[in-house]
Amino acid sequence: MKTELYNMVARSRVNRRRLLQGAASAGALAAMGARPAMAEAHGSVRAEILKIPGVGMGSPTDADWQKVGELCLGPTKERVAEGEFAGVELTFMGLNNQNLHNFLFRGFLKPWEAYTGATINWIDLAQADYNARLQQSIATGTVDFDIIEMGAPFEGDTAGRGLLDEMPEWVKEQIEADDLVGYLQPPVGTWDGKTYRITIDGDCHTFAYRTDYFGEGAIGGPKVPSTWQEVNAASLALKGQTDPLTGLDAHGFLDPLKYQWGGFGFYFLADRASSYVKHPDSPAWLFEPETMKPMVNNPGWVQAIQDVFDLVAADAYPADQVNADPNTTAFSQFLAGTGSMLTWWGDVGSNARTSDSSVVGDVVGFGINPGSERRFNAATASWEDEMNEAPVMSYIGWGIYVTSRVSGDDLKRKAAWSAAAHLGGKDLSLWTSAYPSGFQPYRNSHFQYEEWEEAGYDRAFVEDYLGSNVDSYNHPNAAIEPRIPGIFQYYSIAEDELVKGINGQYGSAQETADAIAAAWEDITDQIGRESQIALYKASLGM
Amino acid sequence: MSTSEGDLLHVVTADDISDGRRKLGTTVIWGSFAILVIVAALQWADANGRADFGFTSWRPTLYAFCLWSVGLCWGQVLRFGEYGKRTLFVLPAALFVGAMVVFPLIFGVGIALSDWNLSSPDGRQFNGTDNIVEMWNDPFYWNALKNMVWYVLAILPEYAIAFGLAVLLNAQIRARKFFRVAFLLPLMLSPVAVSWMIGKSMLEVRFGPIARFFRSLGVEDVAFFSSPEMARFMIMAMDAWTFIPFMMIMILAGLQAIPKELNEAARVDGAGPWRGFWEVTFPLMLPVSITAILIRIIFKLKLADIVINVTSGGPGGATDTVTSFIFREYRDRSNVGYGTLLAMVYLVIIVIFMTILMKVSERWTRPRT
Repeated sequence: MKTELYNMVARSRVNRRRLLQGAASAGALAAMGARPAMAEAHGSVRAEILKIPGVGMGSPTDADWQKVGELCLGPTKERVAEGEFAGVELTFMGLNNQNLHNFLFRGFLKPWEAYTGATINWIDLAQADYNARLQQSIATGTVDFDIIEMGAPFEGDTAGRGLLDEMPEWVKEQIEADDLVGYLQPPVGTWDGKTYRITIDGDCHTFAYRTDYFGEGAIGGPKVPSTWQEVNAASLALKGQTDPLTGLDAHGFLDPLKYQWGGFGFYFLADRASSYVKHPDSPAWLFEPETMKPMVNNPGWVQAIQDVFDLVAADAYPADQVNADPNTTAFSQFLAGTGSMLTWWGDVGSNARTSDSSVVGDVVGFGINPGSERRFNAATASWEDEMNEAPVMSYIGWGIYVTSRVSGDDLKRKAAWSAAAHLGGKDLSLWTSAYPSGFQPYRNSHFQYEEWEEAGYDRAFVEDYLGSNVDSYNHPNAAIEPRIPGIFQYYSIAEDELVKGINGQYGSAQETADAIAAAWEDITDQIGRESQIALYKASLGM
Repeated sequence: MSTSEGDLLHVVTADDISDGRRKLGTTVIWGSFAILVIVAALQWADANGRADFGFTSWRPTLYAFCLWSVGLCWGQVLRFGEYGKRTLFVLPAALFVGAMVVFPLIFGVGIALSDWNLSSPDGRQFNGTDNIVEMWNDPFYWNALKNMVWYVLAILPEYAIAFGLAVLLNAQIRARKFFRVAFLLPLMLSPVAVSWMIGKSMLEVRFGPIARFFRSLGVEDVAFFSSPEMARFMIMAMDAWTFIPFMMIMILAGLQAIPKELNEAARVDGAGPWRGFWEVTFPLMLPVSITAILIRIIFKLKLADIVINVTSGGPGGATDTVTSFIFREYRDRSNVGYGTLLAMVYLVIIVIFMTILMKVSERWTRPRT
């Protein structure tokens, strides 16, 4: 759960009416002499942890995290005897963003440490330092941690180099891995057929739009655009019109034309391109698996770039859009009432209702990313007039991994995996998706809206916002990025070249795409083409 | 004969160093050096897979270097007595500089001539001059260098403004002390704070107060970072705002050091204010001015923080600096070998440029006879 979403719910905490409703129900039950049926242990734990500290009862504290950790120890106790790991010392490397991540893990694992006897040392890193620290550890052979919180895109850098330990079968059972949403199922989390990752988060881009722009008589047309062709047409048609909410100029889709965002900006071009290029018959949409030849300059990608160029040429964006990075489009523009369509992670959904600077809370709707009326089939090198949707699973979420440092020591290995499994447990994950943790829902069981409603959440909002996530997660043609070494290097140079194209330094969208492709070829050659091909195919499960 | 002969005035005790002590000193120095060489050789063999001694880090070599450093210092005292003790005032510092500056620099040259992408499974590979060729053909680097020329040229108007402000603050004006402190404030701000407060907030095109002010004046298209020229100018302006006070304070100090008698003598000789400034004050200020400009150039050549925060080098590379480009190459692309080469070449360019500039300025500031 993102902090902002929690805050939003916290504001709509128990009111007098709800309190009376609850009291009346309890009174009725008491009068009837009825006793609640004993729920099975699993269900009661879920209900119990959702009450810690209780929606609207303020931000959870370390004591709350420890309580949750204690209540969720059941699966650990089934597999580990008390004091079994006495004397074992483990090192855990993770993030300290927003005082979440490692801060929570410490609390969750404290009861685990007390029960098992193991001790955990912590390496806390800021997000900005994380990539460099990890890359340097890998490159210099100084991996000094046994357990790591890591994003799936780095699996190529780690699993691909034999730095990770394969997940034991008992861990899969303990974490109930079958419950993961569609796209987080293998091959994600696996490498060469072996499983390495305990998923603790999910990521995807979804489509956010202004409901007051679209509908009968609205300035954007009678229906919400569902394809990129419609998005561009609506964006052009909105030029010169007036925003119904702010009274300022109306605008359509908000592309972050600055793009340069440490590689993360490339996801926003990918949002446009995936519907053109991600063919249902193939998982590959960025590189050709047999050669690592970039697909980024094929007609589908070029069309996506051209779509952006067309809106630039038509002056359809707000002023100074060339300096708008994704943060600007989401938080300074869309939430502040500029523009009507956007693709982003879940934060926009939660911020729309909770941020003080948001003016669109009551006029925002969500859906999966737009599709395309035609798609490019790279295998036949031809366009197909078929409707195509391919939501991008941008970044694929965080996971817990165990490094091969523990592989030679059975006890330490079991301890490391037990700690990781505790953090990735099914019940504990419900709590992390419901309270501020830095993680989004990622299991099918997280989308049982009744549980959320019972915990005090607004069902309509949860269904709309989380519904767009689950639809994207489970989309059969979801575009999943390759988990190969240096993937963000490819994205970063693409951002630089794309910006040059937007600023007219290349003659056309094709030239821009060719420049990106040439830069990608250089990176592939530098990292090693043969190894990249092998790792790419492994990441695609081929 | 003592090595300190001829320097007896500075020797507190007369050393009578025996041959045995001298030999011990020589043995300590060469013995510790031999240990260093042997440990380093063993580690090198271990690191290159020629032997397996079970080394897990380069710390043994570091410890051997420390041992040799101590041995070298101790050996000086053993061999040369009092004179050797005097050597100890400099030798540890020299060894420290060697270890912390010279060695990393040499190591850095090795990395600069390597193909080392942190994501590459092959690790660091020596690739000779390939990185230099790549740099030669890299339009991003040349574009950044070209931008640096513009940024450096902007120092001239900055200097003129700083000189003007310094002259004003040197004059008998009201609240002079207040203005001196007030004008210094921007220098106390972190460039990162300037980037966010001014570049990302006040100049923000949608809600920034400056943009709103211009809109209220009827300016339709208010955008400070959209066109290449305007964006470059705004970066220059923010950087200038931060660092003009630095030049101003140096010039002010210089102005206050000029004897008043000189200007009074000029006035007695019939020089007006402009002629007095141009013929007396300005020439006398040349050494200070050149120093201020040279230091400012060094600051300017490192310009990166404002660019990274506000424009990321855009639009289309118009505001990119060499340092911000190297930052992207390192942070976003983990391209350590190439990034190091770019930094090394930039260092060489800066050294050559500054040397030429100092030689030329020396000629300018030489008193005319």
